[in-house]
Amino acid sequence: MASIFPSTEWLQTLFDKLNSDERYEKIARNWEGDMCVVIEPSGPLTEPLFYYLDLWHGKCRKIEILKDFSAVQPKFVLSATYENISRIMKGELDAMNAMMTRKLHVQGNMAYLMRNVPTVLDFVRCAREVTTEIQS
Amino acid sequence: MQPILKINLTTNETSEYIIPAKWERDYLGGASLAARLLYPILTQNLDPVSPESPLLFLNGPLSGTVGPAVGRFVVCGKSPATALWAESNCGGFWGPELRFCGYDGVWITGKAAKPVYLWINDGKIEVRQATHLWGLDTYEIQARIKNELGQTGAHILGIGIAGENGVLFANIMCDHGRAAGRTGLGAVMGAKNLKAIAVLGTKKIPLARPELFAPLRSAANRALKEDNLSHVFHDLGTASVADYADYLGAMPKKYFHSGTFDGAGKVSGSTMTETILAGISACHACVIACGRVVRLEDGTKRKGPEYETIVSFGPNLLIDDLAAITRLGEACDRYGMDTISAGGTLGLAFHLFEKGSITEMDTGGQALHWGDVKTIEKMLHLIATRKGIGEYLSQGSRRLGRHFGEEDEAVQVNGLEVAYHDPRAFSGMALVYATSPRGACHNQSEYFQVDLGQADSSLGLEFYDRHAGVEKAANVARHQDWQTVFNALVMCLFANIPAETVSSLINMACGMDYSVDYLFYIGERAWNLKRAINNRLGLTRVNDKLPKTLLEPYQEGGSAGYVPPFSKMLEAYYTARGWDPETGKPKPERLARLGLEWVVQDIWK
Repeated sequence: MASIFPSTEWLQTLFDKLNSDERYEKIARNWEGDMCVVIEPSGPLTEPLFYYLDLWHGKCRKIEILKDFSAVQPKFVLSATYENISRIMKGELDAMNAMMTRKLHVQGNMAYLMRNVPTVLDFVRCAREVTTEIQS
Repeated sequence: MQPILKINLTTNETSEYIIPAKWERDYLGGASLAARLLYPILTQNLDPVSPESPLLFLNGPLSGTVGPAVGRFVVCGKSPATALWAESNCGGFWGPELRFCGYDGVWITGKAAKPVYLWINDGKIEVRQATHLWGLDTYEIQARIKNELGQTGAHILGIGIAGENGVLFANIMCDHGRAAGRTGLGAVMGAKNLKAIAVLGTKKIPLARPELFAPLRSAANRALKEDNLSHVFHDLGTASVADYADYLGAMPKKYFHSGTFDGAGKVSGSTMTETILAGISACHACVIACGRVVRLEDGTKRKGPEYETIVSFGPNLLIDDLAAITRLGEACDRYGMDTISAGGTLGLAFHLFEKGSITEMDTGGQALHWGDVKTIEKMLHLIATRKGIGEYLSQGSRRLGRHFGEEDEAVQVNGLEVAYHDPRAFSGMALVYATSPRGACHNQSEYFQVDLGQADSSLGLEFYDRHAGVEKAANVARHQDWQTVFNALVMCLFANIPAETVSSLINMACGMDYSVDYLFYIGERAWNLKRAINNRLGLTRVNDKLPKTLLEPYQEGGSAGYVPPFSKMLEAYYTARGWDPETGKPKPERLARLGLEWVVQDIWK
């Protein structure tokens, strides 16, 4: 199935992937926490997008597209411009590289995050693998 | 820049040295400028602990300006540990306070007849007797001198008994446990009978374009405060990376011989934050605030260990107790010893004991078993006092290994112990350790950060796989050049700042018009000047090597089975650097391109 990023279908495909991927299930087995991915306007995107994912012990319990994330107060917020997130999804920009060079901003419990870097990176792998096309 | 205060401790003569404007333009300040200033003096015959040996404390053009993470100064000279170029920079408040006195540096020569300390209060200079301070630790002297001067606002750097006793990895400490840790310059200070330097000033730091500098540094500080890495360092300290480093096999264990250690997770920055952390501390005007304050079972707040100390006294010696590591780190700080070299040298001793090359006959009946905190405490005291086995340990791992016929087992380069970022996990560190001008140092290029992902395109850095080989050689050189600029400014390496911001800050502070490319050129110039200094001191291509342990693969862990293709990487690095593959010297044409034609006759004669 075509999964064009960003879209409702893409988020649903990612939800399915996270709940069926054995590698992710193993690596993220201790992960407890929801996150909001904020896609900031750039390129064709004129309004921000807020994708909510509730991740729990190697599975995804819930997804939602929000108007903002103030009501849910997720454990982590990852934000980047549409251009940079698209580059991550296409595999042109490494997620760690983006986080360490001011292209992907992270908010949340850093102690938890630094213990679980492999989980975050495998989450990105799953997101990449379900992305067949980038909206331009 | 402001003048450098020169003091001859033999004669008590003082003078002001005006830095030539061309040298400021060509080298900026800090370690780079120090290399230019000390070049004529650092000869092969110079004994690093002789009265003639210089000890130069120097700021950079941004030090103390309240710019982003620029509260640092550097100490330079000739290392008693390596007999090569020595530099070690330090945070805290001492450097800025010296600038507030109207000086950008203090240049010490000579030797006092009896222990002394210096009191620099704005333009007033006093050489005061310090016999009563000799034997005190690096925290005690700060309290005593402040009390004696009646100046609680004074900032003091000084040495502990390790520096007094000539331990080859003695450091210089200031403020709340901030260390100029590496290359043994505490022993140089001790050899001069100089216990401490106290500074207190009220003057303004001169800026070329203050009206433009102020909004720029405010914006830079705001951006730095919001940066991911700043958040991580602020929340978790420098040991923030410990969990991930352990996962990747980048955190050495059991003296670089084991790829795994079950207790590694117990000593990370995350664990510290969740257990014993009681506060944070910062250097002058720093928005990152990576310093840790911890509370142990006695209820007392004390400095918490940073990454290097945690690994040095933790997984390196198979200890998984953060409280014990904190106490061992504090013992080193009080004695005035570098924690990387102390833990590294002890690691070799434990390794050789296990191997049977050191026995209880050598240690005064003391068995050396991994993880034995009590024994390590005793050994640290023996090192600082140079008693018993401590006499050999106090000379660092290379000489310790040599004494016991096991020099090849020492994990060091040119006499400096390897820092705790394993090149079998981050191949770029292989070149960094082998080619650093001061031995196996991680602060001339924290390339492990680049291998992790901090390959900043604004610096022209490519992002290669952490186990890539020759293709990253030129990248490593470029990163070294950029970090050399940081070490000239003197800017903290943790400041994740866009290159354009750095150049703008320099231009507004110094009245220059430097591009980022030109800063790289200045960085490369200083890197090659330090190389030329070392060539004059006897360094050749043979010195550019890795210890054999780092070229043997781990059997387990996140980097099992891998060793960097070191020879090929070094060859590619030489090509990128324009260095002669036979001698290891920068080629004359490269020196000329960098404006260093004046050193050609010295190193190519």
